[in-house]
Amino acid sequence: MKIEVSKNNLKTGLSIVEKIIGKNITLPILDNVLISTENNFLLLTATDLETAIKYWVLAKISKEGKVVVPARFLSSFISLLPEEKILIEEKKQNLSIECKNYKTQLQGFNPEDFPLIPEIKNQESLVVDNKRFCMGLGQIVDIASLSQARPEISGVYLLFSKDSLKIVATDSFRLAEKTIAIENKDKKDYSFILPQKSAKEIINALGDKEGVLKICFATNQTLFELPMEGVKHPQIQVFSRLIEGEYPNYQEIIPSKFKTNITVKKDDFLNHIKTAALFSGKINEIKFIINPAKKSLEILAKNPDIGESTSTLLAKIDGEPMEVSFNHKFLTDGILNIKSAEIMLSLSGEGGPCILKPVGDISYLYVVMPIKSV
Amino acid sequence: MDNKELWQTVLTQIQLGISKANFATWLQNTEIASKEDEVVVVSVPNAFSKEWLSNKYNKLILKILHDLDDKIKEVEYIIKPQGAKVFPVKISNGEKSNIEQLDFEEFKIDKETNLNPRYTFDNFVIGSFNELAHAAAWAVSENPGLTYNPLFIYGGVGLGKTHLLQAVGNKITGGSKKKKIKYISSEKFITGIVNAIRNHNIDVFKNNLSQIDVLIVDDVQFLAGKNKTQEEFFHAFNTLYEKNKQIILSSDRPPNAIPELEERLRSRFEGGMIADISFPDYETRLVILKNKLQEKHLGLPEDVLDYVAANVKKNIRELEGALNRLLIYSKINNSIPSLDTVKKLLKSYIFSPFDVANYKKIIEAVAKFYNLEEKDLFETTRKKEIVRPRQIAMFLLRKELKYSFPAIARKFGGKDHTTVIYAYRKINQEFEENNKLTEEIGLIKQKIYSG
Repeated sequence: MKIEVSKNNLKTGLSIVEKIIGKNITLPILDNVLISTENNFLLLTATDLETAIKYWVLAKISKEGKVVVPARFLSSFISLLPEEKILIEEKKQNLSIECKNYKTQLQGFNPEDFPLIPEIKNQESLVVDNKRFCMGLGQIVDIASLSQARPEISGVYLLFSKDSLKIVATDSFRLAEKTIAIENKDKKDYSFILPQKSAKEIINALGDKEGVLKICFATNQTLFELPMEGVKHPQIQVFSRLIEGEYPNYQEIIPSKFKTNITVKKDDFLNHIKTAALFSGKINEIKFIINPAKKSLEILAKNPDIGESTSTLLAKIDGEPMEVSFNHKFLTDGILNIKSAEIMLSLSGEGGPCILKPVGDISYLYVVMPIKSV
Repeated sequence: MDNKELWQTVLTQIQLGISKANFATWLQNTEIASKEDEVVVVSVPNAFSKEWLSNKYNKLILKILHDLDDKIKEVEYIIKPQGAKVFPVKISNGEKSNIEQLDFEEFKIDKETNLNPRYTFDNFVIGSFNELAHAAAWAVSENPGLTYNPLFIYGGVGLGKTHLLQAVGNKITGGSKKKKIKYISSEKFITGIVNAIRNHNIDVFKNNLSQIDVLIVDDVQFLAGKNKTQEEFFHAFNTLYEKNKQIILSSDRPPNAIPELEERLRSRFEGGMIADISFPDYETRLVILKNKLQEKHLGLPEDVLDYVAANVKKNIRELEGALNRLLIYSKINNSIPSLDTVKKLLKSYIFSPFDVANYKKIIEAVAKFYNLEEKDLFETTRKKEIVRPRQIAMFLLRKELKYSFPAIARKFGGKDHTTVIYAYRKINQEFEENNKLTEEIGLIKQKIYSG
């Protein structure tokens, strides 16, 4: 293998594929990146056997071939090189790198030991706007359950229907849903549960890129593909396994009737919660006392070791007076994903779900269960 | 050599040729899924293993298999994801905090059957008021489809109909035979049909229903007046019944008292076993309280329990509510409430304004029971379907509220008080003789007093 490639292109590619690599003790080959040639492209591949990323770089290929080298090491080394053309060449499994005044030899591994990335061929697919997709996914991904006790909710649920894509995650205490408009030409519904790690990988790798993202559907696996600018060839492919199982009927838990609705300024609300949070106890409990007559929302927290705090927030309140407690962390998680200046808070009693919604934006919804004394 | 042994041998031989890491990565959780003549199908846990085995180890595996059994000419690989690993749910005993982060209850419900695992026979308290229903339900769960079909259970709100229905479902689910069970509320059933009609896929809906082994429909009284739904339900019922599939229904009143129910459905509902659940007696209420306390690992003094059981008699749900109030009080104040405090705390349960019958409620309940508008009762008419309910309303006003006859007459648009006396006597007499009427009035009273 003998290739000429620009330093910056190689660096960008490596920094994207190396993120997927974790510490792998059982199979050390997974710490490496596979560099191979494909027509006029240099292809970088990395995998953790759950997810795989492929990244194509335009390059001048003088001799085909492939090489497997430690990804992190290569990435840190390349980023230190001057902004010049890099000449890379494979010599008996090892990689020699030449750039201006630098000459380096890097020990490699046998490319035959590198995992084969499964291919998804001729599958049904859909396209979405990449930026909007990644942004929406980012608003949801952290809500998924961390515990493996119920695998189906440890992932992010994606439901593609006629004209919309719903992205959902829950950990059974709270739930977030994002709706994105899409064009689904064959009018068929698709859905799958994406592992949380893969979802984060997708945001990392694709998040800041313009373009249309192609999503391919296959049994047990899926592929996200972003094309190159100006060239009809994929730039990045993220392959992921899917979580088996059926996602719960989450629509049922979203109430449609409420006892009390409150509209507050987001930043004020967040500040008051953060203040009270300092005083909250072991289970992060903070209490709301809602008084519609006085148009006031009182936020209370008490900790025998520290002290107590009360703060009052004036707000637009419709409905019944109420006292209800929440885990402040759950509230802030929802609020931080809301982009509007005002938040609508809809409550259904001290034991029922509460909904947070951005005012003037129906695409995001956050449901959280209160804390209750028993 | 069976498939398991065969694969074991293959693994042992492969192990010699490759590194431990490779073996662990690619061959863990693999097995022979099937073996037919020349083709062996090997199941692998993920797509990576499939690629690897079929490209790198295929020759080796085939050779070993062929050596062991020379009929084998081909190996195929399929992906069989590892089933969800079941982790034991940790129940933290001991330090049980009195504050709890609530979660989405709905997620505990089985998506396939709609059953809530919380309801079982084990935590169902049996008393004289429900033993027939319980026995029937138990018999059905032992032998679904053959004992009593359909099983129809009726009784007032908060008495445990849903509990019993779900307990049957849960018991059958837990049994050895795989049965397809579906628990559905009438309301969901109606929405299902409406949606199916709108989306033009009523066939799919019908088809789904006809594959069920045990169909449980809660609160069938809501089917009243929904003719299209009744028609579909009738067909579904017949399909299942003919195939000896179990059908279990519940309602707040017996089939013959459900208004606007088509005759053919009514007769079918009555065709199996009808069992009622009435109000729990004092002793049962006490047992229920004690059971609930045991579930929560808490205790209350005997005289308090006695007071609660003796005074909260409307239904079991209320009883739980009253108990919870006491428990919250004792948690907050860190003391066990005395009888006097209990009396104060439970005032709203015992002397609730909703418990007391009043004029409006009686009229409302009677009108609703006979599916009339309230104003119909006051119409000057002698239509049979109105005269009768009007007489019953008069009877109840006299009997329950001790209204004077002239007062009742005034309420009904200045009728003569003798008319009222006649109505009262007539119903009073029939009340004793006519079982159907006794039952109807009983149900109306239940409505009046249970709000």
